[in-house]
Order: sequence, then C-alpha cells, then structure tokens
Amino acid sequence: MKKLLNEPNAYVDEMLEGLCAAHPQYFRRIGEAGRVVARTDGPVSGKVGIVSGGGSGHLPLFTGYVGRGLIDSCAIGNVFAGPSVDDCIEAMRAADGGAGILRLYGNYGGDRMNFDMAGEMLDMEGIETATVLGADDVASADAAERHKRRGVAGLIYLYKIAGARADQPGATLREVAAAAEKAGRGCATTGVALGPCIVPEAGKPTFTLAENEIEMGMGIHGEPGVWRGPLKPADALAGEMLEMVGADLGLGRGERVSVLVNSLGATPHEELYILYRHVARELAAKGVTVVRPLIGRYVTSMEMAGASLTVLRLDSELEALLDAPADCPFWSVP
Amino acid sequence: MSTDSRMLVEALGRWADRMELAAPELNALDGQLGDGDLGATLSKCAANIRKAIAPPPADIPGIFKACAIACTKASGSSLGTLLAVAFMTLTKETAGKNQIGDAEWPGLLAAVRDALSARGGARLGDKTVLDAIEAVRLGLEGTGPEGRLSAAKAALEAAIADFRGRENRIGRARIFAERSRGLDDPGMIAARHMLESIG
Repeated sequence: MKKLLNEPNAYVDEMLEGLCAAHPQYFRRIGEAGRVVARTDGPVSGKVGIVSGGGSGHLPLFTGYVGRGLIDSCAIGNVFAGPSVDDCIEAMRAADGGAGILRLYGNYGGDRMNFDMAGEMLDMEGIETATVLGADDVASADAAERHKRRGVAGLIYLYKIAGARADQPGATLREVAAAAEKAGRGCATTGVALGPCIVPEAGKPTFTLAENEIEMGMGIHGEPGVWRGPLKPADALAGEMLEMVGADLGLGRGERVSVLVNSLGATPHEELYILYRHVARELAAKGVTVVRPLIGRYVTSMEMAGASLTVLRLDSELEALLDAPADCPFWSVP
Repeated sequence: MSTDSRMLVEALGRWADRMELAAPELNALDGQLGDGDLGATLSKCAANIRKAIAPPPADIPGIFKACAIACTKASGSSLGTLLAVAFMTLTKETAGKNQIGDAEWPGLLAAVRDALSARGGARLGDKTVLDAIEAVRLGLEGTGPEGRLSAAKAALEAAIADFRGRENRIGRARIFAERSRGLDDPGMIAARHMLESIG
C-alpha cells in the first residue's frame, strides 16, 4: 500500500485535524470522538438545520460541504463505513437552530439505520426532524425501484438546493425538505471506473480491473455496475453515460439542466473536460440548455480512477436556488 | 432459575471478553463479502460496555440502557447499531424488573427480533443475525426447564449449517449474493460467540 499516511487507524482523525486546521473560518470539530464537523458560525438561529454524514474517503463529500448555503454539520465514519449513532445525534444537535432539522445523506442501509435511530432519540426531546435521501445512482436499481438506488455524486446538488432554500427568510422544515426532494427526483448519475482505490484500514484494492478494462455503472465503493469490458474512446463513454441518465430523467427539448462531470479521485481535470466537451455538444444538439456546469473533484473514492456524470433537471425555483450564494472551501457561489 | 442484575453484569463481562477474542475471526469472515470491520466494531462495543457497567447501574433495565448507549458510540458495522437497538428493546421490555425468569427469554428474543427487523429491514430467511436469534428463541421455547441452553445451542448450530448454502438477501453481501453461498453469515457466527459466552 503506497499512501501518504502515518497509521491506517489514524487516517480519518488526522485528515479531520488537517481539514479543520486549514479551514478554521468554515469548520469546527466537535463530538465526543471528534467525528463531527460543524459550521464555525453555526448553528444559525431560526434557520432549518441541515445535517449530513457518511463514511470517509469521499472528500470533498460529505464534510467538505459544511458551510453557508449548504449543510450545517456532518457526522463522519471511518473510510467507507457509516458514522456512529452517537455522532449522528451530536451532528444533529450542532445543526439545531430551533426551526427543525433535515437529515440529508446517501441511501445506504447502515447510514439510514444510524440516522433513523439518532432521529428517534432527538424526536423524544421534541426536536422536529425530517429525512431526504440521495438516491441518484441509476445503475444501482431500475426506475421502478428508485427508492433502492444508492446515493452518489448528485447528493451535492441536494445540499445546494436544500441549503439555499433553508437560507430564505422564514423557510420551514417542510419547505426545505420539499425542495431537496424535488432536486432528488430530477437528479440522475452514472459512473465509470478505470481503477480501484485502497481502503487504508484494509490495505488492499477494493476491486480489480485488468489492464485496459473498465466497468460502467460501478458504485463508489466498488459495487458491481452494468458492464465490464475494454476501454472505449471518451466520446463513446460520455455518450453512453449521458444516454443512461438522460433516458432515466426523460429529458426533452427546451429543458434546462445543470451538469456535474466528477472525478472519482485519480482522473485529472483534463479528462473531465474531454468528457464534458461531448456531453455539452450532445445536450446542445438535443435542445437542452446547461446552467452552471460543475467540472472537478466533488465526490471521490480516494484515488479511484474514473468519472461520474450527474444531470440535474431545473425549473425556475431550482435554478434560482442553484444560483443563490453558498460558501465552503470546495464550492462557492458568490 | 432466573437472572438477576449481578448475574447479568457477569454475563456481559464474559460476553465482552469473547467479542474481543473473536474479533479477528469475525473480521476475516466479514471481509469475504463486506468491509471486514465486524469484529472491530463488536470489540469497540465490548470495550464501551465494560466502561458503561463499571460500576453497574442499579437495576436490569438500567444495565441494558447503559449497554445500548455504549453501542451507539461504536461506528463501523451495522451490527453495532443493531446491538444498540437490541439493548434498547430489552430496556423497554424489562422495565420495572429486578430479575428475568428463564421462561421469559423466548419472549424477549421475539421482541428483539421484531425490533431488529423493523430497524434494519431484514426478514427471517435473509441469512442474517435475525435467523440466529429466531433459532435460539425456538430452541429455548421448545424445551423444558432442563437443557434449555444446550437446546438453544443445538438449534443455532443447525441454523448455521442450514443457511450456509443459501444466499444473503440483504446488505452489502446481497450484491455478491452468488458468492455468499457456502459462506457462513458473519452475523450468525457472531451470535454463536455471544450465546457460547453467556451460557
């Protein structure tokens, strides 16, 4: 294992220490185990709090998006392992501005179980909570079983939309949850994996691919995808990914969307722009207008090679929320 | 026979010792299909529980509640959270009790089974710890006062053998369902260690 670390078991805690040391204007680290990161200027009184959480290994997700106009706090687990119930409770308290709390995280069984249990414990204290799950990975289940889909890169759009809605004066928990749900319904992602990553605590690759072999639709923890086969030209892969997400959303002429071309970690910006070039052309040819495209490392699996494509369908409400101010070290809208 | 709070604390101590001993085996088993942190998670639960019951809370529900809170502080495998749910259920079910009669255990296990199913989404037959709990419950229920524990152990062994050739139908192992045939479910094996340690 060739990784920049000291002790595999200290990987997450040392990462969090560095993250908070680098960005003290945004992040403060709290919780009995130091596994909760909250806004330095939070909780914001009278605002619906937005809490997220999940395993480490996906930076900037989840923790990196703690900030104004995004999420208020985050519970952090080990690499690819969910946060503890106790940390979920702590994160929810740190997001509590007295107007209710939205739990907004990816659709994984363990995370769901822990956040639900944490939610029940806070409900007993009379704090109003709601849940919206990111479930945008089209390859993980058919459209008929949307609720079974895993959450991947599209979750950051849900952060942005919910965060902006919560910042509007007088926004209620129900309204913030409804905005997040609307974004979730209009959000679809698929990814292609070129090479694995190594979980530090395990010390071995999460999966293996032969030289020149790729896997279309693979999940961000190496969950099996749609097909495995030889590498193809970027345009062919971009076209196939766009076809999958476009068909899922039923995109039509005249629609407006945002597009996220995301590196899973090792894939460079150059290759993301090569993919985006084709996506932009195809969408223009279909009469679909792209607003605020995001190209870069937004949701990763450490050094995994590959990319994902997310399309978010916009209406006037969602477009305004996407344009609203937000600020964190990894995504700012002035 | 019945269990009082002193016996319960002693049994939890033996349980904690066993979780730590079994951790490498459970990590390896879990690593074949999952992320290999089951043993580490249970060790963490064991260490937290040891702290939570020294000195022990005054009554049986208090002990169970301390164990539940201790398990919510362990991250990693889902089984840590399920343990917290199980202890929370036992807290509610034993409210006001100073001892638990042997004949009450099948009912308590049924309550735990239902709570875990509601929280985790697994059903009987999915090849999870639920199937182990149900086997133990049936083993305890079907026997007279003598030999309850050995009947429960035999029932659990039979269930482990029966499920070995089946597919996991939930969780990360479900993704590799075909490969799960022939492998013991790590949750069921954890249950075997738990039963052996307390009985």
